[in-house]
Amino acid sequence: MLRDVVNRAAVQLFKRVPWIGEQWARHHRFVEATTVPWAPMRIPLGEAVVALVTTAGVHLATDPPFDMDDPDGDPSFRIVPADAARDTITITHKYYDHSAADRDLNVVVPVDRLRELRDAGRIGGIAPRIYSFMGHVDGAHLPVLIERTAPDVAARLVADGAGAVFLTPA
Amino acid sequence: MGLVQRAIEAHGIPTIGVTLQKAVTRKVKPPRALYLRYPFGHPMGEAFNVAQQRAILMTALDGLVTITEPGTILEPGWAWRRHRFT
Repeated sequence: MLRDVVNRAAVQLFKRVPWIGEQWARHHRFVEATTVPWAPMRIPLGEAVVALVTTAGVHLATDPPFDMDDPDGDPSFRIVPADAARDTITITHKYYDHSAADRDLNVVVPVDRLRELRDAGRIGGIAPRIYSFMGHVDGAHLPVLIERTAPDVAARLVADGAGAVFLTPA
Repeated sequence: MGLVQRAIEAHGIPTIGVTLQKAVTRKVKPPRALYLRYPFGHPMGEAFNVAQQRAILMTALDGLVTITEPGTILEPGWAWRRHRFT
């Protein structure tokens, strides 16, 4: 109970006082990279099948929610059909305020905007599946994400025929 | 999120992601990013602001084509709730 209150207060502080997030980022240890992977666009955007990937904790309401009790997060992912009805999708994530995204999913996963771009011919198509993580992965779960679940999703995106991927955080 | 993005790019698919935390993005180094100084929970802006959401998505997707330097972070500088999208 008290932990929930403290967590909710922290979520609002991080949302409303950007300086706190910047201080956290400065002092938190991240997996720091020296090289950058690179895959150039080889086809025009108008021909590319675009996939959406998010770490905003989105999932089908019928799927198990992300584990919010483990302080090191949850390295697993959920699959959401790109044409899933809005009322079948929910968000499990207590580390950010998703009240706006609950009202309009496009705030974290712009599936309606992507459909409009497809209908206008700006992109070639929409990949059949959205892949969703919860982010905030740390500790022992980091190697699971890096070695297992992230490459798994990457291979699935290749199989889905994705020619480009747009990612959104929480 | 950058770690997932890097894994996808390493599988040969061009990627771009929104970031609300430039300091983190500078460390994790995803191939392409669009930085917005927006609050957590709002990577695509405000609820039901179609013009804003479309501008963010299109700017990012255009970045897939225009960015040639790995690790580039686009910064359109749109002020939260003050920039008018048309």
